[in-house]
Amino acid sequence: MAKKTKSRTIAVRLVSMAMTGYYKTLTRPRTHRPLSMLKYDPVVRQKVLFLEQKRGGGGK
Amino acid sequence: MSSINWRNVNAAKKLPDRLLNFFAKYPPPPAIFERKTTFKSLQLPKTTSEPVEIPSTTSSTDPNASSVETVADTLPPGSEWTFNPFAPQKNFTTGRWRGPIYGLRQQADLCKLAQKCGALDLMPPSIKNPETRAKRREELGLRVKGTGVGQKVKGHIWERKIKGKLEKRRVAMEGMPEMIRLWKQRGHGRGWKKFPK
Repeated sequence: MAKKTKSRTIAVRLVSMAMTGYYKTLTRPRTHRPLSMLKYDPVVRQKVLFLEQKRGGGGK
Repeated sequence: MSSINWRNVNAAKKLPDRLLNFFAKYPPPPAIFERKTTFKSLQLPKTTSEPVEIPSTTSSTDPNASSVETVADTLPPGSEWTFNPFAPQKNFTTGRWRGPIYGLRQQADLCKLAQKCGALDLMPPSIKNPETRAKRREELGLRVKGTGVGQKVKGHIWERKIKGKLEKRRVAMEGMPEMIRLWKQRGHGRGWKKFPK
């Protein structure tokens, strides 16, 4: 049986490092390094660091 | 003694008809008047026993210990009500209970009226007695769970966890400038190794 081809891009979740539980979902190329950026967190109402969540098992 | 009795009689004449009728039907025990004369107190609480008054136990050992000493101090022997129209009665022959002569609404009305006229001490023990009510309120608190001293309520799950969450957030925000500085230092994430799970 032929193996299913993986998509070139993946959806990743960037979670707020302010530990508010707020996150943003972005897409990036599969081979790209993990994303990280400064973005606005509405819970603490300021720009904080968002880091990509490590992808667990779950078929991702 | 006689002059004091006259004073009582004169005072009684000023009472409203409703109270007079009540006292005519159910006169207070005479010892109560002696107490009033000897111990000058008009406002002393007479919270002996609002539970059921059973003929065999007229001495009325009340459950609240705080009122024991005041009652013992103020009430001379024989001042307890032999028949309390405000309490339910048990028929010992049939074993059945009969409701109070005066219902709770009427008890409340009478007690309020008596308080207005300063004759509250002459009323039989009742849970509608304003003094008893105030005492019970003091003991029981506001009846809102968790408001008493040392009381706690379980609360919703978010209420139980909010404290820890906020603390975690506070610590994270304290370290945020340093984290951003490091992140910028490492090429805006190029050299960043620690990613959250």
